[in-house]
Amino acid sequence: MASNKKGEKIKEKSKRRPASQWAVAWRRFKRNKAGVFGLIIVMAVFFVGIFGSFFAPYPARPNKDAIKPFYKGDVRKPPSWLDPEEPNNFKYLFGTTPIGTDVFSDVIHGTKYTIYVGLLVTAITMALSIVVGAIAGFYGRWVDNLLMRISEVFLVFPALLFILVFVRIFTLTVGDPFLTIPIINIQIPAGLTIVVVILGLFNWASNARMIRGEFLRIRELEFIEAERALGASNTRIIFRHILPNLLSSIIVVSSLTIAYAILLEAAVSFLGFGDVNTITWGQILQENFSEMRIVWWAEIFPGLAILLTVFGFNLLGDGLSDALNPRLRD
Amino acid sequence: MSSGRSITRSFSSLLGSAMFRYIVRRLLYMIPVFLGISIISFFVMYAAGDPLSIIRIGKPDITQETIESLKIYYGLDKPVPIQYLNWLTNLLQGNFGKSLRGGRPVNLLIGSWAWETVKLQLISILLAFAISIPIGINSAKKQYSKQDVAVTSISLFGVSMPTFWLGIILIIIFSYQLGLLPSAGSRGAPYLWWDNPILDQIAHLIMPVAVLVYVMLAQNIRLIRANMLEILRSDYVLAARASGLSERKVIYKYALRNAIGPVITYLGISLGMIIAGAPMTEYVFSWPGLGRRYVTAAMELDFPVVMGITMIITMMTLIANLMIDIAYVYIDPRIRLR
Repeated sequence: MASNKKGEKIKEKSKRRPASQWAVAWRRFKRNKAGVFGLIIVMAVFFVGIFGSFFAPYPARPNKDAIKPFYKGDVRKPPSWLDPEEPNNFKYLFGTTPIGTDVFSDVIHGTKYTIYVGLLVTAITMALSIVVGAIAGFYGRWVDNLLMRISEVFLVFPALLFILVFVRIFTLTVGDPFLTIPIINIQIPAGLTIVVVILGLFNWASNARMIRGEFLRIRELEFIEAERALGASNTRIIFRHILPNLLSSIIVVSSLTIAYAILLEAAVSFLGFGDVNTITWGQILQENFSEMRIVWWAEIFPGLAILLTVFGFNLLGDGLSDALNPRLRD
Repeated sequence: MSSGRSITRSFSSLLGSAMFRYIVRRLLYMIPVFLGISIISFFVMYAAGDPLSIIRIGKPDITQETIESLKIYYGLDKPVPIQYLNWLTNLLQGNFGKSLRGGRPVNLLIGSWAWETVKLQLISILLAFAISIPIGINSAKKQYSKQDVAVTSISLFGVSMPTFWLGIILIIIFSYQLGLLPSAGSRGAPYLWWDNPILDQIAHLIMPVAVLVYVMLAQNIRLIRANMLEILRSDYVLAARASGLSERKVIYKYALRNAIGPVITYLGISLGMIIAGAPMTEYVFSWPGLGRRYVTAAMELDFPVVMGITMIITMMTLIANLMIDIAYVYIDPRIRLR
């Protein structure tokens, strides 16, 4: 009787689909408080980026020199909740700049650019590093040697310095501040896109080496040997067998790369090499840097936004790493 | 006489040693990397087009004759590969060309800027490593303790923070609000801080060093902690503990030696970047070093200066990498000299 019951139970269980590795990972991720906190921050950033223009108190503004006089509001007002002369505590949450723009609105409108930078830089970086890592790790021999020497060049490179020169050269060539992509009819900022492409092209080396290492490891495993014995082509082995095994590492690295890309773009903009027509967070910091003795609020709040966003992506990345690669857990 | 013979003997044994062959091989490996970077650096100039056209934008009334004579002065009238070879031979002789702004020799300019950067960086790196090693070890020893959680979250905060923004915050608080420390420069321009040249120097160093140390500290602690955790679980640590050694000896004599590898790699990268400085920190604190000059030169597209600084950084990084590889051999005998 008991054994029968047991048998039924087993049957019942086996009717359900077994939990996929993603479901298992999600369950593990949910238990990690820091990771969930990171996910919440990231989701909030996406929300502000997508819907921000609906609730920002003031509209998005053009660059510093193109601001028309009628656009100007109060100049150098501290955050309203610190200002005894201002009855409305919520008028300027983050204060106003020397040119009379509202820092709170600028930060909200800047969020979408931050997301744009993070995602696009990471897409370019990961595409490049997967291609390079896969070719080097799978084909080995001289191809591997050559690609790894090239990646060494990129690692030894003082990347930030080179990025500055490249950005400076190419942003000089920008004509229209915005480009329209023909079919989907979306406007993208031209100067910022140049910055993004250059950041993407310069940061693939370390990720490519990581992916190469994984390829080398998996290539030698028995199931690949079995697949090869069955007559599978190289393409099939790479795309059907090795890459899916790498997916979790790629997701983790992508999250950390987004964080890094956002920091890098902020640095480039802060040093004055960014696109003056897109008011990213780094751009706000740059514009008000020379007057920070007075308008300290215009430096503190955009910086806090950067810190929080990057912190969120880093927490998310660490959490994903724990959930997806439990072997690597500290 | 006998000492002379022993010197020759030890010298010949050095030549024949595996270590020597290893160093030579690593040096040979550096050549293609160096050439690769030099080629890319050089052709960046040509992505920009003619540097003289930029001068022309700045001075619209310049005559064609002046442009021609400038071209010959800077050697821009020759074909590109010849220009590259000229530039490279000059570079290897320590001649970096002349700045497009003012025409002063680049190596003299770099020499006068480098000292400030080296001073700032050396102090920060030494401090950062001295502080981070004990903290990282302690954090790993008591994993998930309150202290560990605090340290790891603060260091994650550190890697998430834009370097320059931390500098801005410090300036706003300590210079503008409290008036305790100078906000810019490397020495007292209008007056001496704390009425003493040495104290003045220290006053100017405190905030930039604090920023650099904090950023490096965050990286270091994360590295050391992760490595220590892995090693403290290994069998030989268990064996060392089982044989009755004190915990202190187990950690500092056995575990640390194995955990230090990646830290040394990171130290090497930081040493290579000593010359590069931290452009952002130097920019925020108006530190008169190479990093800030590089930013200005890149902004003005002053290519001889940009290329000169880039090549110096490249060489420093390559040399630092070599030093790391050699240090590894001494720290970790498992590494074979191939």
